[in-house]
Amino acid sequence: MNENFHKSMAWLHTWTGVLIGSVLFAIFWMGSLSVFDRELDRWMQPGTRLETSATPVSLDRVVAPVAHALAAGSTQWGVNLPTERAPHMRFFYRDAQGKTITRAIDPHTGQLIADQGSKAGTGFIFPFHFSLHIQWLDLGHWIVGAAGMAMLVLLVCGVVIHRKIFVDFFLFRPRKRLQRASLDLHNLTGVLALPFHFVATLSGLIIFMGIYFPQSHVGAYGAGTLARDQFNLEASGGFKRAKANRPGTQASLDAMLAEAERQWPGGKAFLVRVWHPGDANGYVEVRRSYAKDVTMHLDRLTFDVQTGAVLHRFQAAPVMTVQRFISGMHFIQFDHWGLRWLYFCAGLSGCVMITTGFLFWLEARRASHLKKGLVGVRVVEALTVGSVTGIVTATLAFLVANRLLPPGASVAGQDRAALEMWVFYLVWLATFVHAAWRRASPATQPARRAWQEQCVAIAVLALAAVLLNGLTTGDHLLKTLARGYWPVAGVDLVLLLGAGLAWWSGQRIGQTSARRGPQAEARALHQAAMEEGVCGG
Amino acid sequence: MRMKDLVRSPRLALCLRLVAAVPGGYAMAAAAVAVCAGVLAHAGMARSEAVVLSAMMGFVFYLLWLLWAFGVRSLWRLWGVLLGGLAAGTALLPLMPQGA
Repeated sequence: MNENFHKSMAWLHTWTGVLIGSVLFAIFWMGSLSVFDRELDRWMQPGTRLETSATPVSLDRVVAPVAHALAAGSTQWGVNLPTERAPHMRFFYRDAQGKTITRAIDPHTGQLIADQGSKAGTGFIFPFHFSLHIQWLDLGHWIVGAAGMAMLVLLVCGVVIHRKIFVDFFLFRPRKRLQRASLDLHNLTGVLALPFHFVATLSGLIIFMGIYFPQSHVGAYGAGTLARDQFNLEASGGFKRAKANRPGTQASLDAMLAEAERQWPGGKAFLVRVWHPGDANGYVEVRRSYAKDVTMHLDRLTFDVQTGAVLHRFQAAPVMTVQRFISGMHFIQFDHWGLRWLYFCAGLSGCVMITTGFLFWLEARRASHLKKGLVGVRVVEALTVGSVTGIVTATLAFLVANRLLPPGASVAGQDRAALEMWVFYLVWLATFVHAAWRRASPATQPARRAWQEQCVAIAVLALAAVLLNGLTTGDHLLKTLARGYWPVAGVDLVLLLGAGLAWWSGQRIGQTSARRGPQAEARALHQAAMEEGVCGG
Repeated sequence: MRMKDLVRSPRLALCLRLVAAVPGGYAMAAAAVAVCAGVLAHAGMARSEAVVLSAMMGFVFYLLWLLWAFGVRSLWRLWGVLLGGLAAGTALLPLMPQGA
């Protein structure tokens, strides 16, 4: 669109980044945390801090009685078997209204664990990553999808506008002006983690191909719900059988599990689900675990509930297996602690990349916007503070609220789990208000105060979360470290590290603005804007 | 304002480009996915596999479209290719083996 391709790509990179950066930061932040969603579950749901059981649990003895008591008239019930990262059994069933109810069972005792009153990592942070918790018309998914496409565009044009991609690898000048340093850091994180960012974004889109291309089947199957169901059945498998409407017996679930594991050499099951429980035509679905595979395969066996005979066997076809491999790379559901930490760091490096991109945009324009009386920098700066330090503050407030709210708390019909989320959203909103308010102070003073104060808030909240965890659950760091209980110790340690980092950042931001003073600051920035004529707009 | 000036207005040009790139490109990608799946299925690929392969490639197609749409200089060319592509998709889809 501009006179040359290079300039067009620079324009596209700049404006896509400014427009979508806030959403992208939220997605990257929540995605990075989701890598440790089960560990956050342990931290936020102390009742599930169980020892991993070495012996397999008997479904007939432990789960069947629970199912009988809770889900007798249900259309289906099932259980996720305990794993290293989730040591409890997750029991679920459909209630009379068709709603799925989830309960946790202690596999050692067979007792139900009381509801912990928190959506925690898998219920709040993970879904936030891909849906922003906007359910209406799947709008959240679509916003995330659009942001994902924008991210791919940003990455490609980011590479195109680089003339010295190799040199940028080794270039970081933190003691230079903020504008220079932030561009260096933007390039460094962008180039270093480029393969991760590209693969993570593209795979994230491919996971939800059924949502983003809902009509993909019409050429091969025809239009309509029936055609769509047929496609899903052929691609992802599934076995259906109508109810007989007469009572039936139930064969041993343990025997079915053993048979399934015999048919998958070296494989384990992760889920067992009973359809039409108590009916003569009931059937049992057993899904194979992918804890040892990248591919989130769809292998499943279906047994007759009365005889235990195999009714149906499913394995995905090659292309679908590729799709499941790509999904598995994104979901990282396989057991590998080294890679898990690498994903976490690469995700956070994406957060750094987005933030420094914003900082560069702001610093490159501050002087000229000030001179021309434009509001762009002021608005974007407040939005950036709220999107970056704001969402981190809100997440930590979510953790602190989790430790402070009493069990069974309820305000205006909102239960404890909902109240935690309210705290998250209200604190997040408050950080935007704070950023806008701090930005409104003398115009020559860049919004360092907003950054600085939110950094301090992060440090205080992170420290408070660690202390509150120790006080309210007794699992303080000394104890968890001595016991080697890493899910909770790890969250605490990362919180402490984050607190230190945020405190240090806050101090540094304060020092820089104090040393320079507003006048010198504005002069330096003006000079900077003159030098850097790049990325116009 | 005369027609010529209207098209020369940078704001309108940007709007036209955005429409062709983002929703226009999505419509074309979605049509291409459906048609491509039909063609592959007709060529002997398992139907579900053809759909999955096409849908995955749809994202790559859309990405390339977005980059090209902002890179190409002529708006006429951009809209020409877009309308041509959409027309081809609309014409081809009913001809698919299980056509809508």
